[in-house]
Amino acid sequence: MIPETAGPVILFSLPLAAAITVFIRPRWSVPVTLGASGVLLAAAVWVVGVVLQQGAWRHDIGGWTAPLGIGWNVDGLSAALLLLTAAVGLAGAVFHASRPAPLATVRDPRFFWPLWLFLWGGLNALFLAADLFNVYVALELVSIASVGLIGLAGGSAQAAAWRYLLATLLGSTIYLFGVALLYGRYAALDLALLTDGVERDGVTAVAAALMTLGLLLKAAVFPLHFWLPAAHGRAPPAVSAVLSAVVIAAGYYLLVRLWFGPFAPLLGTGVATLLGLLGAAAVLWGGLLALLQRRLKMLIAYSTVSQFGYGLLVFPLAAAGAAHPAWTGAVTLVLAHGLAKAALFLAAGAIVLRHGIDRLEALGGDQRGATLAWVAFAIASASLVGLPPTGGFLGKWWLAQAALATGGYFWLAILMVGTGFTAAYLWRALQAAVRPGREAGIDPATLSAALGLAALSLALSAAALGLAAPVLGVLLDAGPGAPG
Amino acid sequence: MVYLSLTGVLFVLGLHGLFTARNLLRRLLSLNILTTSVFLLFVVMARLAEPLDNVPHAIVLTGIVITVSTTAVALALVVRIAGRMREEDVGAAADTRGDVE
Amino acid sequence: MGVAGVIFDVLLALALTWLAWQATRAADLFHAVVSFIVFGLLMALAWVRLEAPDIALAEAAIGAGATGALLLSALDRLASRERRRRLLYEPGAAWGFWIPAGGALLGALTLAAWKLPAPGLGNEVRAALGVSGVEHPVTAVLLNFRALDTLLEIGVLLLAAITIWSLGRAPSPLIPAMPSPALPALGRLLFPVFVLVAAYLLWRGSHAPGGAFPAGAVLGAGAILMLLAGARPWIRSSERGPWRWILSLGLVMLLAAGIAGTLAGQAFFEYPPGTAGPLILLLEVAAGLSIALLLFALYLRGEPCEHGYRGKGR
Repeated sequence: MIPETAGPVILFSLPLAAAITVFIRPRWSVPVTLGASGVLLAAAVWVVGVVLQQGAWRHDIGGWTAPLGIGWNVDGLSAALLLLTAAVGLAGAVFHASRPAPLATVRDPRFFWPLWLFLWGGLNALFLAADLFNVYVALELVSIASVGLIGLAGGSAQAAAWRYLLATLLGSTIYLFGVALLYGRYAALDLALLTDGVERDGVTAVAAALMTLGLLLKAAVFPLHFWLPAAHGRAPPAVSAVLSAVVIAAGYYLLVRLWFGPFAPLLGTGVATLLGLLGAAAVLWGGLLALLQRRLKMLIAYSTVSQFGYGLLVFPLAAAGAAHPAWTGAVTLVLAHGLAKAALFLAAGAIVLRHGIDRLEALGGDQRGATLAWVAFAIASASLVGLPPTGGFLGKWWLAQAALATGGYFWLAILMVGTGFTAAYLWRALQAAVRPGREAGIDPATLSAALGLAALSLALSAAALGLAAPVLGVLLDAGPGAPG
Repeated sequence: MVYLSLTGVLFVLGLHGLFTARNLLRRLLSLNILTTSVFLLFVVMARLAEPLDNVPHAIVLTGIVITVSTTAVALALVVRIAGRMREEDVGAAADTRGDVE
Repeated sequence: MGVAGVIFDVLLALALTWLAWQATRAADLFHAVVSFIVFGLLMALAWVRLEAPDIALAEAAIGAGATGALLLSALDRLASRERRRRLLYEPGAAWGFWIPAGGALLGALTLAAWKLPAPGLGNEVRAALGVSGVEHPVTAVLLNFRALDTLLEIGVLLLAAITIWSLGRAPSPLIPAMPSPALPALGRLLFPVFVLVAAYLLWRGSHAPGGAFPAGAVLGAGAILMLLAGARPWIRSSERGPWRWILSLGLVMLLAAGIAGTLAGQAFFEYPPGTAGPLILLLEVAAGLSIALLLFALYLRGEPCEHGYRGKGR
């Protein structure tokens, strides 16, 4: 077996195989999931290593080359996101497995695990796929699994799940309409083929507009974010973590793939500025609403709306000529956000378990059993704000350099103001820890240390990402997607 | 082609229904009509190609199976939500944690 | 095509538009759902006119049949629970927005679509058909050229069934109020016909329109009809029984076929030379059965009983 093939095949097949196993034998759920998670993390690290050593590669499924066949494309960007998925997947699984059993809902233990693994499988399939329709199928896998996982929280979460389902299905349908137009124009669905063949004409522009609109809806970009806070705020903690960290990033990943691939010729100043303004509005509006929230998980959920706004700043900066630093910076920010945001949601989950309530003013008082979680919260906050030497700092630094190089002072100002908002709302959350509080909640002894450790390991990864700057730079440069 | 126009008409009808309807089931019907318009576009492309192109046919077959899956999930959710709404209306002991069996 | 053909197409398009309008706007929800089902049936005609018989079969069985049954049974649940006023449609405002916006969108889409050259991949498919192991091009695309899509799609079906199970137990009684007393007898009578048609379609699929998808859909629709006719749902969710295995079978086989290619030192999903034909037939049977059973599982709208149903079916 060639080493290049093994990595993607494991990343694609193992989550699905494990999902079937835990569906057939629910009692094996925890060991099978944790074992598979460990293997998946190792496989993702391996794939990243191979990309670092020998650059990007392509695997033709069934030996059929495009346009007839489907391909897998492994480059720096997809390898990085596969690794992010694996890290969040493992930490989330550990967190969920060590939740105190009496707090789980009745249906939870039997159905969480297969849905979790299906979500993972869908995400991996998505990050590997180099074919626009294969991407659609993977997106639907991700959507249904997310809906199931949100709905597991029961009660009002089911209404949130319904709204999420409707929004995400609308997004994928609009996306698919664009794909159909592209197919009718070029008879190709493969990203690389389309990148080589695309011309600037009306059909391509309409297709690009539709696909972008659909993906903006899925990435919850302002003003299409309406569905996100309730869905992410009400889901179980591990689910919120993976939704905010990776599922939203999947929509963003496709936007970047398309606009730095097939649609690159269409990325004029007008379009780029429009996308950038949407991002700027998201940064400000999401930040403002996060500041106004009174519940910890809703605060973190609105923060996701705000943070993905930065990702969109890549378009105006790239159109202005600083494609390379802007691209590297934006992708680094998305990776750092993923690790930090998952850490925040897991930490918040542990804190809420400790206090039995998630209103900010009730989280003070005795913090025994949640100390590790608060430490993780603080470290993750540092990365999200962008204090050196964290991953958040690195991403913002590169973006700021791109803005300075092109004279984009407006975008620089957005970056600064957004950072101010982030610092303000996270400070508000951290303040809650040291307030005197009422004595309630559960006995701290029943809370496993693994809850806090899962959050802490992700938070430390987010911080360490900043130290890995040279490696990250090389990794993200590998591949056809990276602008030269 | 007549069917090309039909694609556009169904697309707009579906979008309109999705955004103006309040009833959950009706929104789902609109979404399904929207999806059908996309499938129609694929098949019209296949028909216009010379010779007849079978790839879109396979794509639409896959799409139909996916659509019935998502519709089924959505309907199951709607039924649960409607059941819950009724419970709350009646003022019965609403199970706030929601793990209703 | 001739004038008659064009007139037929125009009438069909007008009927479809009217039905779509009814499905989204009719005051009565039952009316809307029935319009949608008829819409699905007429779409099957449109697919035939567009030379896509495979899709026509699948649309009739899934689009109109299975989806229709799902919608009607959901409506049955909703109608008994929701108050009448919720069912009535509040006439939407914002015409001032929708007429110009819809018109503009329609114009843009039509203009874009009108100019499409539609090169198609017909020649590529034809050239590769000889080594694909089957004679029917749609089957070749589904289970050879784009087998990865099919794998993920069966995954979506299985995932949908698991998601529905995760929402709660299947409601009981499961059988909606009978619209017609003749249905039970008719259902029992028709079920063998459904099985025969499905088997025939599956066999035909290697060289002519048909194959796993329509066959699975027809079989699934037949099973749902049996349920409507009062048969007891025989799927169990017990860990010990075989049902979880059987529901997963399609995805397991497809994954195994994919991995086997890699283990043999070839690409993922690459069939060893000369074995494509029988392998595809095997996968088709598995995929068809999976589709049928999973469609049926979707219809149950919840996790079936673990060990068998109390009481008897009608």
